[in-house]
Amino acid sequence: MPRPINGITEADRLPRRHPSLWRDAGRRLLRNRLAMAGGIIVLAMVLIALLADVLSPYDPIKQNYNAILEAPSLRHLVGTDALGRDALSRLVHGARTSMTVGIFTQLIVLAIGLPLGALAGYGGGRTDNLLMRFTDIVYAFPELLMVILLQTIFGGSIYMLFLAIGLVAWTNVARLTRGQILSLKEREFVLAARAMGATGAVIIWRHLLPNSLGPIIVTVTFGVPRAIFLEAALSYIGIGVKPPTPSWGTMVQDGYGAIFSFPHLVAFPALAIALVMLAFTFLGDGLRDALDPRGR
Amino acid sequence: MSQYILRRLLWLIPVLLTLSFITFALMHLVPGGPWDREKQLPPAVVENLNRKYGLDRPVWLQYLSFVANTLRGDLGISYVHQDRSVTDIILNALPITATLGLLALILTVALGLSLGTAAAFHQNSWLDYICVFYATSFASIPGFVLGILMVIIFSVTLHLLPTGGWGTPEKLIMPVIALASIPAAVLARVTRASTLEVLHQDYIRTAHAKGLSQHIILYRHTLKNALIPVLTLLGPEVAYLVSGSFIIENLFSIPGMGRLFVQGVFARDYGLIMGTVLFYAFVVAVANLVIDVLYGVVDPRIRYD
Amino acid sequence: MPMNKSLSKSVMVAALLAFSFLLACAPGAAPQAAKQELRANLAAEPETIDPNKAAFSTQVTVIKQVFQGLLSFNQDLTLKAVVAKEVPSVKNKGISEDGLVYTFKLRDDVKWSDGQKVTAKDFEYSIKRLLDPALAAQYASFYHDIKGAKEYNTALGTPKEPKKPDEATLKSLRGGVAVKATDDTTLQITLARPRNTFLQLMALWATYPVRQDIVERFGAKWTEPPNYIGNGPFKLTEWVHQDHITLEANPNYWGTKPKLQKIVLRMFTDLNAEYAAYLNNELDMTRVPPGNEKQIIADAQFKTQLLRNNEMVTLAFQFNIAKPPFDNALVRRAIATAIDRETFIDKVRSGVGRVAYAWIPSGMPGHQPDLGKQYKFDVAKAKKLLSDAGYPEGKGLPLTSFQYADTSGNRVIAQFLQGQMKDNLGITVNLEPMETKAFQQLVGQKKFQWSFFFWGADYPDPDNWLPEVFGTDGGNNLTQYSNPKLDDVLKKAAAELDEKKRLTLWAEAEKIVIDDSPVVPVAYRERFFLIKPTVKGLKTTSMDATLPGDWFYAEVSRG
Repeated sequence: MPRPINGITEADRLPRRHPSLWRDAGRRLLRNRLAMAGGIIVLAMVLIALLADVLSPYDPIKQNYNAILEAPSLRHLVGTDALGRDALSRLVHGARTSMTVGIFTQLIVLAIGLPLGALAGYGGGRTDNLLMRFTDIVYAFPELLMVILLQTIFGGSIYMLFLAIGLVAWTNVARLTRGQILSLKEREFVLAARAMGATGAVIIWRHLLPNSLGPIIVTVTFGVPRAIFLEAALSYIGIGVKPPTPSWGTMVQDGYGAIFSFPHLVAFPALAIALVMLAFTFLGDGLRDALDPRGR
Repeated sequence: MSQYILRRLLWLIPVLLTLSFITFALMHLVPGGPWDREKQLPPAVVENLNRKYGLDRPVWLQYLSFVANTLRGDLGISYVHQDRSVTDIILNALPITATLGLLALILTVALGLSLGTAAAFHQNSWLDYICVFYATSFASIPGFVLGILMVIIFSVTLHLLPTGGWGTPEKLIMPVIALASIPAAVLARVTRASTLEVLHQDYIRTAHAKGLSQHIILYRHTLKNALIPVLTLLGPEVAYLVSGSFIIENLFSIPGMGRLFVQGVFARDYGLIMGTVLFYAFVVAVANLVIDVLYGVVDPRIRYD
Repeated sequence: MPMNKSLSKSVMVAALLAFSFLLACAPGAAPQAAKQELRANLAAEPETIDPNKAAFSTQVTVIKQVFQGLLSFNQDLTLKAVVAKEVPSVKNKGISEDGLVYTFKLRDDVKWSDGQKVTAKDFEYSIKRLLDPALAAQYASFYHDIKGAKEYNTALGTPKEPKKPDEATLKSLRGGVAVKATDDTTLQITLARPRNTFLQLMALWATYPVRQDIVERFGAKWTEPPNYIGNGPFKLTEWVHQDHITLEANPNYWGTKPKLQKIVLRMFTDLNAEYAAYLNNELDMTRVPPGNEKQIIADAQFKTQLLRNNEMVTLAFQFNIAKPPFDNALVRRAIATAIDRETFIDKVRSGVGRVAYAWIPSGMPGHQPDLGKQYKFDVAKAKKLLSDAGYPEGKGLPLTSFQYADTSGNRVIAQFLQGQMKDNLGITVNLEPMETKAFQQLVGQKKFQWSFFFWGADYPDPDNWLPEVFGTDGGNNLTQYSNPKLDDVLKKAAAELDEKKRLTLWAEAEKIVIDDSPVVPVAYRERFFLIKPTVKGLKTTSMDATLPGDWFYAEVSRG
């Protein structure tokens, strides 16, 4: 495809072909092997979470006082915890909580952060100032207090957890999006698109966002393990899943107490989290490459 | 530009006021007060304490007098450390957290930028994969586990470093590394992403075609433009590092701001909560202002009207 | 894109440097303690070290080293005279026949660390300061039996009924407190009503002497070194806030000089960090993070370092008996019988702690070893009790919520309880972890349903354990338990002056409580510490504060 120097493609002038940019990206993503490996891992984790009842060798909440704090063995592949529960079964069931938390919170973060940041960056001036001062307030906001309050008013359901994390974690994405758009919006290709009468929304969606996604995807990838750990921290003040329901974060946190004698209680859930993070990293990198029209 | 900075500084007033109001309201709405105990205190003692701290007055009056006192530079007496003023406590912790934070910041930037650009210039090479591996492994272990692993290796096993505390330079090493590891990983990955973004821009390709040397391309074009998201991330990172991390300060027993704030919240130390939140907000706002100014320096096309 | 040579080179160099640093990490030497130095972890910054204001164990551990009161405890928790010449009794005329007037004769050789003499005036000032409503001391109400004390201390009223006295009124109320230094070595205290345990109260930190001139000169800063003048074996030489406190032997100490020259109290807040510091020889004693006990007991080297001692602390579940289903004593008894305490201690707690069926812990006068045995774990009996209560097999029992302040220890206990109820009674219990203060308020306002708590001794007497928790107007009666028969016995016991009769009455009271079962005692706490074998002469009691043996550090030495 002939490509003018200022980055405007054929598609810019032909509105009916607009979806092609994102569809092309999808096609390119499917061809990226690492990204596909990442996708398969994520899919596998989701399947494990869904099929936890079938897959786990033991009941994850059944306590066995004759098998407390056992090292990994053939009977218990990754050992048992302080109440004699099979750690593998808890790991498998923990995927439910932790995958849900990891993915949903990041979707919330994107849903709030992207539009807010884009609006501030593209709108500029007073809009930018007001939105960014609001972001400053949220960033310095004592969320610990708010979370304790939420727990007592609404009880500690998992929805409260999404609310608690989602409401404060979007600030980085918003500021990043704004920064990217601030630096891109005066570029030639954007000016050209504007000169050709493209509306703000079109410019943001077709030119600015695809070109600024790289760093945003990275922070969102890091947001996944952060959210998983935050879930564990918050479960200690009664938000999120309640014991005895397992989650990877709480397994790490509970295992930390006896880390000197039984490091495996921390190691295995941490490995699971690392695997998910790695999968999202590959997927994110692939997505970035795929969206970059000049990348390959 | 100076007018812009002045205007932004003026904006600090409504930001801090709003935040102080929200925090004050939250603090009093949250169940549990400074005098709640496992063993309940007798009502007469509670009344004596309330009287001493002015909690027997209506809440709006308490807020107004807090604002008035703060404007005079007096943050009041701590509700927990009853012999010390909040200002005194914060001033004690501030230099400690700042030292730690600045060192961690330097490490973050050095490690993050070099690893990130190197990975971008060698996309899909072993260096790139090391960067991914480093980022993934450090981000997947929570700070307290990473910290205790370092302690087990360097203190308990090798007896090289003290486990924690404050006062001598060697006590800084592990906390600085633990504090910087995750921000550096994020920074490295973001730098890589944004450098790639720029490397694929047409003007870099053009520069290349024109035969400009690699160095000139790197410094004149790439780094400068790749810096925008890096700068953006650094804003809150500076705020985070300078205001202290509870997890690291708790694990390494560092008498800093992060531990102070969290302990303050859990103890409902109203004075300490207000003091630390306002300080934190101030740092966040100023850091973001500096970043916004730097945007303009890095990329003169960015304007604020 | 071609390789950028210089950049990749610099990265390589950096990587190489980092790697060689790691290689160069030959094991170093562990830190060593100085001669006659004791290093321990206070675990947190003491909020105050003002004896009159102190309320928490970290504070008390420091105060005990720097101050000494009229009386103190022996290792078996009997009273001994310290600044007083002898423990007052009716026999030595120290206590009047009616049990109202206490006369303390002071030694005349007791000195402050700045060389001045300790007089009865210092004690009078301290006790009156303790009761000053403006000081808002948390332990003031312990001393309300002193004539005029309650009137002065509550002069500002309660949150519900505040009063606004003027300066003159306050001054005359202070003068009305019946604590009087009749001369330099005589302190006379008159009580409004007899109180058997008054001498024990006089052995607590809250009545240690305080110097009026110092407090008035330095204000709130008087607790900082070098202002912090005490009369104990050690003096405060350094307080780096939130980091450590250094105590050194007091050269002006009037008694037997301590062997230790220095005590360093660190403030490691993380339990694993404290334990690591001990392993790296930065501390001489440490708590053991729960979960590691099994390994430690099995380890030959740690075995010689193990320090275990029983504490007078009872861990228990408490019911809100104002609301169904816990208003039904049969339900409470069924639950008490359905908890396998032996397994809890032996397996879940690796043998740390003692199984409890009664409320008053072993080690305290009046402990009844056979009380509560009807609640010994018995599934069939528990099921029968539940069925008698109208809930056969747990059917029809409303879902109950168990609230607890979430710490890793409590989390294990709560899940254990949940498992026991499910397995043994078929009852589903909903766990509600809460942030600590939110939990404390919920319990304090009696809005909880079922919760976990512990009760520790301030002084070794049931007087501190029964009326406060189970009396109808007990300040810590959170179960809302009320039994007129019990109130009657409690009143008699409090007024009884004869030691033997008193203990019989307390025993009768405790039996009523255990029968009614508003709380389910589960375990008595045990301290599980490691201590370096070079620390000699440590004497623990069942009532130590943060650190084991902290009543007797003056007798400890390093060898």
